[in-house]
Amino acid sequence: MIEIDRVGQVYLTKTRDIWAIAEITTTVATGEFVSIVGPSGCGKSTLLNIIAGFIAPTAGVVRVAGVTVENGIPPNLGYIFQKDTVLPWYRVRDNIALGLRYRGTPEREIKDRVAALLALGHLDGFGDVYPHELSGGMRRRVALLMTLACRPTILLLDEPFGALDTHTKTLLHKELIEIWREMGQTVVLVTHNLDEAVTLSDRVLVLSAPPSRILLDHRVDMPHPRDVFTVRETPAFAHHFQTIWKVLGEQFRTGAVEDLAPARRGP
Amino acid sequence: MSAPQKPNIDRVARLREIARAARRERLNVLAWQVSLLLLLLAIWEFGTRVPWLAQNVNVLDPFFVSQPSRVLSKLYDWTFGVKAGYLWPNLFSTLGATFLGLIVAVSTGFAVGLLFSQRRRLAEILSPFIIALNSLPRIAFVPLITMILGLGMASKVATAWFIVFFLVFFNTFKGALSIERELMDFCRTLGASERQITRTVRIPNALAWTFAALPNAVSFSLIGVVLSEFVGSTTGMGYLIIVALATLNSAEMFAALAVLCIVGVVLVMIFRLLERRVLRWAPEFREI
Repeated sequence: MIEIDRVGQVYLTKTRDIWAIAEITTTVATGEFVSIVGPSGCGKSTLLNIIAGFIAPTAGVVRVAGVTVENGIPPNLGYIFQKDTVLPWYRVRDNIALGLRYRGTPEREIKDRVAALLALGHLDGFGDVYPHELSGGMRRRVALLMTLACRPTILLLDEPFGALDTHTKTLLHKELIEIWREMGQTVVLVTHNLDEAVTLSDRVLVLSAPPSRILLDHRVDMPHPRDVFTVRETPAFAHHFQTIWKVLGEQFRTGAVEDLAPARRGP
Repeated sequence: MSAPQKPNIDRVARLREIARAARRERLNVLAWQVSLLLLLLAIWEFGTRVPWLAQNVNVLDPFFVSQPSRVLSKLYDWTFGVKAGYLWPNLFSTLGATFLGLIVAVSTGFAVGLLFSQRRRLAEILSPFIIALNSLPRIAFVPLITMILGLGMASKVATAWFIVFFLVFFNTFKGALSIERELMDFCRTLGASERQITRTVRIPNALAWTFAALPNAVSFSLIGVVLSEFVGSTTGMGYLIIVALATLNSAEMFAALAVLCIVGVVLVMIFRLLERRVLRWAPEFREI
């Protein structure tokens, strides 16, 4: 479980303090798939960084499994960045084994687990190639497998599919949802793609333009398993999409104006 | 999956024609290069035999520029002929100093570059000194180095180090700073300690930049050694050139230059291959 308790975040600049996050309070239940959407610059990624312990919030606290996130990354937490984070100097096999080697897992066990993960990511036969020989979608899979190798119970995804074409994206959605259903991680997905958010998640949080707060906490009560290829055509999908878009679209329209308005002064 | 459709024969033929044309073009360029080289050698060889040219044009006076045939026979003398063995100790002395200087410069440049990227305060304190040292004409230091270290291997290696170190250091330092924060944060989420981050992320990343500098580093190392041999030494290719100058023997001078030229080209080619081999994973680092 992730508890986000009155979290606020300020960026100091020379002329003024910019409140990226005004105040956010919410809870992500164990095994829940939550997406966060909002206009660009609304502090979605910042919130994810705070949960992961990369940055400390200016106000409030985050608790993961009841433990306050303070010094460093909570255990069993996986994080997929928008940027390509596969290490180019290691072969695919050694990239996937990286987390296990950090933990000192015996090499024989690593071998078996890497083989199983390669199969899971449909990358059999690519274990011995270098990342630069893979397509963008395949490198995303490798990053995901690197994380899954460590068997995280919490998965934070920061616009992981942003740079991919629609087809590859949909395939990865399918794989992600299958992995999630099988392993039951708690997932927080930051995205600017509402389609993606509705397709995948149990709940969608809409953040406002900065200083951001939660404008809408919407439950997507469509049954699992969902077929990522056809779910978009169902009436339920359209209903959820429109309900959320009513709020989100307003933010996109006014976002530009908010950016120009003077930010709230810090305390 | 349906079978691929029948290719358009004309277009395939056209593609083949384009590939053939590209091959022909490469051969053409090579032919021009060889012809140009032969032409220059011919002008050099026969121009110096025309009395009027030899007397009135300095660059065609055999006293100054010798002749390809004489240079070749001098090279033969040095290797298998009357002075057989004369070349080898000098060549090996230069090569040895070049490699030693290169190894010392690359390892120290790598280590200091990596250290500076991690100790930002140290880097900030020392950076004006390094910039000052780097912007001085390094050639001016060679006599000082020779004065301190004497006429021998030590001076040559020190000069090579002095020239190559900064090249490697700056490349490594810049590369180590360019590493993305996300890469390290990602590895931290995989459970890496700081030491493990250094071993698996910082060092391989910095090494890539160090290796990318190698082909240049080896030519600069050779330059440093020959420079040191000019200023003061008793062996080496630079020493042979200085002796040739003292005895006004242009054939010997060109023979030494030819050897240096071949050595330089071969060394750079070897290190390009080495770089390619080591940086197999990084096509963006490779020179074309």
